[in-house]
Amino acid sequence: MSGPTRNPRRNLSRALTRIADADVTETLAQQDDLAPPSLPRIGVTGAPGAGKSSLIARLAQRRKAASGRIAVLAIDPTSPLSQGSILGDRIRMDAIADDPDIFIRSIPSRRAHDGLADNTADLLNAMEGHGFDEIILETVGVGQAEYTIRTLVDTVVLVLVPESGDAIQAMKAGILEMADIYVVNKSDLPGADLMAAEIENVASRERGDGWTPPVIRTARNDEDGFRALDAGITAHATWRAGHTDPDATRRARARYQAQGLIARRVKEVLDEEGADFLDKGQRDLFDALVARLGPDSGD
Amino acid sequence: MSLKGKRILIAKPGLDGHDVGAKIIALALRDAGADVIYTGLRRSPDYIAKVAVDEDVDAVGLSILSGSHKELVEETVRCLTDLDAGDIHIFVGGTIPSEDHDELRGAGARGIFTAEMTVDDVVSAIDADLGA
Repeated sequence: MSGPTRNPRRNLSRALTRIADADVTETLAQQDDLAPPSLPRIGVTGAPGAGKSSLIARLAQRRKAASGRIAVLAIDPTSPLSQGSILGDRIRMDAIADDPDIFIRSIPSRRAHDGLADNTADLLNAMEGHGFDEIILETVGVGQAEYTIRTLVDTVVLVLVPESGDAIQAMKAGILEMADIYVVNKSDLPGADLMAAEIENVASRERGDGWTPPVIRTARNDEDGFRALDAGITAHATWRAGHTDPDATRRARARYQAQGLIARRVKEVLDEEGADFLDKGQRDLFDALVARLGPDSGD
Repeated sequence: MSLKGKRILIAKPGLDGHDVGAKIIALALRDAGADVIYTGLRRSPDYIAKVAVDEDVDAVGLSILSGSHKELVEETVRCLTDLDAGDIHIFVGGTIPSEDHDELRGAGARGIFTAEMTVDDVVSAIDADLGA
């Protein structure tokens, strides 16, 4: 059974599977059917165990009250050994999992190494035109490489916990400088004050664009924290509307998507070719690879 | 054997709180290449059906140790059908007496897995059914 069903939610869900599974040729063929992107996108990132999924559940309930229908895309890592995955983010989102106004979709990262999934750009675009008002993207949380989330979403929320002090050191040059909002989650734990002070030090540094990222503390039983996070996201969206160039954003996303498509196409070609293709030596290999690129060549 | 690209929901309907078996099967399915979503404990058939639709799974595995397998399987099938998703395959695992197997198959279960089977047997049966 692959035709459309009478259930619009199921049709969307199936469309997402088609996009997630599409090869480069199919992805390109689907582009014309997509509405131009217009939905606000919130990205939530941070190390595993920081509490991203639970935080998104609380946040989605608040955003729903103000914005309307919310779509959540949650990316979990694919095992490099089996290519399989356990998509566990939903367990932490059980309070919202059967809310008719919130759609949650779990996505395996597959071959991507940047904390996103292969087709994240396409999946985000596919959420347009289905009656949603806002998209929340949860990423794998692998640290530095995740700055690519910056390109694909409008507001980056970085979730930290009091005990992630050493992680901060490792993250300093990466995502830590890219976040629009910092959250110190589990802030009822010891060390929260120190963590918040350290982050405030990073956040107060001039970013060059005029936005000073707030540092917000959240904890399980503290509604004030989630209220502040909700308000912080809205404030950033308002600031963004007056201070960023939509054409520049669109071009940066087009560039990311194009780079991703080429990288996937290279992978497809190398998978198709045999060992002798790899034995050529880098210069010949590169030339042969370039000759083989293009969605329809050589098939 | 490969379940690569298949999406499978492992669900715990009803009131029993034992999910070691469900988790072992979830890990084995992942190791066979599947993308596995786990619901957590004590979910209603209605909840499970909604998650199955949003996640666009190929199959739902119900882990039931409470003895209410007949009601829970029938109810899950009914909820899926109400969402126009009756084509999603259903498997049942747990303490299922053999005299109930025919009835469960009649209700729509494509496979019934009990403690006598090895994990590999279970994964093979799901693999064969989903026709990878």
